[in-house]
Amino acid sequence: MPASDVKGDYLRLPQNLTVRAITIVQQEMLQFLDKTASATIELDDDCQVDISFIQLMEAARIYAGSAGKHIALARPASGPTLDVLKRSGFLEGMSAEDLKFWLHQGGIQ
Amino acid sequence: MSFPDPIAVFRTEAAELLEQIEAGLLDLNVNLGDKDQVDAVFRGLHTLKGSGAMFGFDALAAFTHHCETAFDRVRKGEVPATQELVTAVLEAKDHMRALVDTPNGDHEATGEALLANLRAAVDGANSPGAGSPAKAAPGQNHFKIRFSLPQNAMANGTNPLPLLDELRELGECTIVADRSAIPSLDLLAPTDLYISWEVELLTTQPRSAIDDVFIFVMDEMQLDVVTVDVPVAAAKTPARTEAPAAAPQPAQPVAVAPVAAPQAAAPAPIAPAPVEAKQNKASENVRVPAEKLDELMDRVGELVIAQSRLSQLAGGSGDLQLRAVSEDVERLSGELRDTMMILRMVPVAHLFSRFRRLVHDLSHETGKTIELVTEGETTEVDKSVIERLADPLVHLVRNSCDHGLETPEERLAAGKSEAGHILLSARQQGGEVIITIKDDGRGINKERVRAKAESSGLIAPNANLTDQELYQLIFQPGFSTAQTVTNLSGRGVGMDVVKRTIDALRGTINVASHPGKGSEISLAIPLTLAIIDGLLVRVGAGRYVIPLSAVEECLELSIEEDMRSRGRSFISLRDSLVPFLRLRDLFRTGTKPDPFQKVVVISTGSERVGLVVDQIIGDHQTVIKGMSKLHHDVATFSGATILGDGDVALILDVGHLVAEGQQQEAHLRAAG
Repeated sequence: MPASDVKGDYLRLPQNLTVRAITIVQQEMLQFLDKTASATIELDDDCQVDISFIQLMEAARIYAGSAGKHIALARPASGPTLDVLKRSGFLEGMSAEDLKFWLHQGGIQ
Repeated sequence: MSFPDPIAVFRTEAAELLEQIEAGLLDLNVNLGDKDQVDAVFRGLHTLKGSGAMFGFDALAAFTHHCETAFDRVRKGEVPATQELVTAVLEAKDHMRALVDTPNGDHEATGEALLANLRAAVDGANSPGAGSPAKAAPGQNHFKIRFSLPQNAMANGTNPLPLLDELRELGECTIVADRSAIPSLDLLAPTDLYISWEVELLTTQPRSAIDDVFIFVMDEMQLDVVTVDVPVAAAKTPARTEAPAAAPQPAQPVAVAPVAAPQAAAPAPIAPAPVEAKQNKASENVRVPAEKLDELMDRVGELVIAQSRLSQLAGGSGDLQLRAVSEDVERLSGELRDTMMILRMVPVAHLFSRFRRLVHDLSHETGKTIELVTEGETTEVDKSVIERLADPLVHLVRNSCDHGLETPEERLAAGKSEAGHILLSARQQGGEVIITIKDDGRGINKERVRAKAESSGLIAPNANLTDQELYQLIFQPGFSTAQTVTNLSGRGVGMDVVKRTIDALRGTINVASHPGKGSEISLAIPLTLAIIDGLLVRVGAGRYVIPLSAVEECLELSIEEDMRSRGRSFISLRDSLVPFLRLRDLFRTGTKPDPFQKVVVISTGSERVGLVVDQIIGDHQTVIKGMSKLHHDVATFSGATILGDGDVALILDVGHLVAEGQQQEAHLRAAG
């Protein structure tokens, strides 16, 4: 049973985005990216996130880039996702493109 | 292809971690100042907590956290390790096992009680003067750190975020994730970790504080720490080594240098050969569930039976090509069987390790000082034998601790050392493993055994028994000479179970005891229960298998000799009389003896007996099948096997037959 919810170009990811569930998320995201040219990823505000998810999204960006596709977050990272980005040192030295993807160019003030 | 259930894998790994924690605690108990053991226990607890949380064992993670915290304080020198603390964590470890086995069970009350014990042990250890808090070094240090965790770190339950948090707690910290190794989504193994980190740290803490952050992954990770104000080439250290001891600590705070400041200090690829070698070595081992080995063993058994049938057909056909193929199959199946046997063999160290804890606990319960020594831990035995030996050995060690060893006062009064000693040893002897439990206690009181046996009607008053026969009475159901029943033993329940289990393993028990000096119980157990080399013989119209490991030699028994020996059933073998049993009579075949009968001399240790058979057919790879419930009580046979032609042959119980022969000898001697 799929854990994610697909609506057109939108992929709403499940609540559990930790290493325990990351293999399924990868499979579903791959299927989704293969079917769409412009993918928008939606996260729950109270989703559970660990570093495996951040790593997965980075890998998805590489995949989309090499396939000539576009991938974006529906909303800037916030809550648990932003917390993991901060704690894991991803926010330090972000490029403009990274800032656009993760924070919709918002950055951390 | 099926993948292993991750929860089952976690349970297996948790069991191993708990064993390591227990071993570390027991070693620490012997030497409370052993910092390596403190670190090892801390690492084990930390890993267990992390893995538990990752796999949804939240109660386990929460409970283990308290023990980990206690050991963290020991590690940091805030609390000294004490025997009370070790005992409290040992008890907590048992609770952790329960939380692994039954995570949804009602463990709360027990857990609270154990944590109260733990708190009391920590508070007791932390009394004034008991320990001193770790002191920070004066001034500040500036470190550049680059590290990468093992690729399987996340899958094994290590979350990098708490490590990064701990680094931040050390001082002013800049952490940058290096994402350059992350592959494309389609190539990503999502539970692997591809990220590494570069950290700049301004801290008043010494270099060792950084190592402490990574202590539980230190063996497998790559860690590069550079002290900024010393020559970089000298400062680069592989994981697990200290920074240059002479690194001067700057008196004034040092400003954070740009990441690229000293060229040589820039992150460099770190690939220490030992780590790589270790990883390679780890990948050479495969964890296989025990039931898969059992399944494979069954298949090999079936193959051996089929091969036996093929040999028989080939032997009778006269087709040389068929014979050649049959011989090849026989050789290959023999090699496969031997390889399979090796796969199933495990060292008895696995079995012995649990007795350290048992003796530790018994020592507390009885108030006796007990030292356990183990020998021959590398001796290997079939895993199914090991599993079934555990309970009997627990009974025997408990008995030695409770009844065998005296109290310290009694020992001192008897001129012995205050501490009692128990030796648990294993050695291979032919096709058997001999496991011995020896103590230097008071020994078995023969008079009391005799009196108890007479009063309970097991033997006639003043019956003439050898010491060995007398000692064997302690294995009778309900037999106990203990004057007091304790938690440990004395109820007479257990020794009969020991006997039954050893019998079921086709083993024998030998007891030796010396008043005031101690007792020694030796268990002789076959190395394997699955397939044995056997000697196929014919008695009347039936065929039987004698385990080849027990066969000493085969002789011919002519009709004249047979006639001469009638009535006494002894043969003279190199100047010694060996009793023999006529299997034709024993099995009541009702057939006439062959003109040239054979005697197969079998032995168990020093005792021998001859078995008179009609024909020796030859050696036979015997796949042992259990007897049916209906035949469970037939003592003469230990199992059955299927022959190549589909017939069933019974496997003789050597121990029983030797005992019967010896009994016959004793009767004849008594009759003069």
